[in-house]
Amino acid sequence: MDPRPTRPGNSKSSRTNLWLGGLTVGFLGLAGLFLAGTRSPRPARADIPPVDKKFLETTPWRQTYADLVKAKEDLSDYDCYGCHEKNKPPPIRFDDKGKIIIPKEHANIVMGHGSHDRNDLCYNCHNEQNLETLQVRDGRQVKFDNIPLLCGSCHGPTLRDWDAGAHGRTSGFWDRKLGEAQRLSCANCHNPHSPRIPPREPAPGPHTLHETTPPAQPGH
Amino acid sequence: MSAPPTPPDPTSDAAMTRRSFLRGTAAFGGLTALAASLAPLRELSDFSSTEQFLQKYYKEMTPSDMAKVIARIEREVQHQYGVRPHVRDLKPMDGVEFVYCLNLTRCIGCRKCVHACVAENNQSRNPEIQYIRVLKMPHGSMDVEKGDHNYKDAQVPDKGFFYMPVQCQQCKNPPCVKVCPVNATWQEKDGITVIDYDWCIGCRYCEAACPYFARRFNFTKPEIPKDRLNPEMAYLGNRPRKMGVMEKCHFCIQRTRAGKYPACLEVCPVGARKFGNILDPESEVSHILREKRVFIQLKEEMGTSPRFYYYFDK
Repeated sequence: MDPRPTRPGNSKSSRTNLWLGGLTVGFLGLAGLFLAGTRSPRPARADIPPVDKKFLETTPWRQTYADLVKAKEDLSDYDCYGCHEKNKPPPIRFDDKGKIIIPKEHANIVMGHGSHDRNDLCYNCHNEQNLETLQVRDGRQVKFDNIPLLCGSCHGPTLRDWDAGAHGRTSGFWDRKLGEAQRLSCANCHNPHSPRIPPREPAPGPHTLHETTPPAQPGH
Repeated sequence: MSAPPTPPDPTSDAAMTRRSFLRGTAAFGGLTALAASLAPLRELSDFSSTEQFLQKYYKEMTPSDMAKVIARIEREVQHQYGVRPHVRDLKPMDGVEFVYCLNLTRCIGCRKCVHACVAENNQSRNPEIQYIRVLKMPHGSMDVEKGDHNYKDAQVPDKGFFYMPVQCQQCKNPPCVKVCPVNATWQEKDGITVIDYDWCIGCRYCEAACPYFARRFNFTKPEIPKDRLNPEMAYLGNRPRKMGVMEKCHFCIQRTRAGKYPACLEVCPVGARKFGNILDPESEVSHILREKRVFIQLKEEMGTSPRFYYYFDK
């Protein structure tokens, strides 16, 4: 069959063949291993749920009178003389402990203004002569959509900071040549009857690559 | 005339001998093994190409080079995420130096800034990469070692604590830039220290050099859900990163160099974050640095001179 003459040293060539065969099997085995490696699932990682979109919201917490007007929403809350009588300031009543009694028509109001909630006289800010406006203690009348003037009559340094942009929320453009910045008003963040910002739920904290129990609270 | 029987051609199939069979098998096996050993490169091919490999250094690119690079990035992002992004190469503006001020009296530790940043800047969601760490610190101390960023309170703020968000401080004297062996990170003239993700070799020297733990490394391929990708991108900013490169806060370059406020500022529910141009005496930050009780640059003693200032109201 083979026309070539059989060479001497046949045992040597068969040893080479044995080597080559062995290497082939070895390489194929390695190839199999590599291929299996690329297909195997990646190491298990703790599942991190996507963050709730409520934490990405940039809309303010509250709507002011001006926002309600702009959005053409229900303004019946501001229609004072739908219930009250003109030129007859409603009386303010206090209980035995000197705490203000909120009439049931205004049950949604929680009073908590000032240290020990002592700024509880409605007419400190509301105008008893015309309930549809507010008043500064020096007698100036203020409309519901211009409250920084009213708030700033007591909170002077805060108004000064707000005017300079150091207090309050801003969005839009820092470069006023390229676009407008939107400023929020006092009542967008603070409830005038209870201005302290209430505690809230924090967004989830960081997850590490290899999730472990968080380190113990540092001693303090 | 009949042809004489020719001897079988040694190269034809019929002439397959045991030797040539074994040789063939060995060669085939070797090639298979080679191909298989290169298989891990297939994962890379998703996000790197010859084009990217041959790309020039950022500062040496001409506008037409950059246009090509941006076209490549847009193509790759669309291929990977199915969203056509809008990638820009925004340059620093003249007469602008950015400064960030954070009001520690106001911050309530709600961590909204952390997640707004992740959403804006296309960070990996799993493993999770976040640029901002909010430290919960006991009153009466400024020692960051007493801070805890894993707090799991149901409600914030907690009594007796204040909250200090820490992110890249955009130092005037940045140690991370000094240690980079390939100049993949540098400080731009508006004060933002940027990273070219295509030039970074992932040695993590900068991560070690940063005293604020501001830099993050992509240990794996970043994972971003397609519906959460922000398509408004900048080359030095929030374009998707690949495995093995560093990233960090860049003051939302894609927003701030277009005149807008950063995302962490806009989401802050209490207005604790203030940002602007310190070279403009009318800006908010100028007012704050002039009028407020600005007490620190964090780790002032390191001599890094951050452009990130913490201040108090009272």
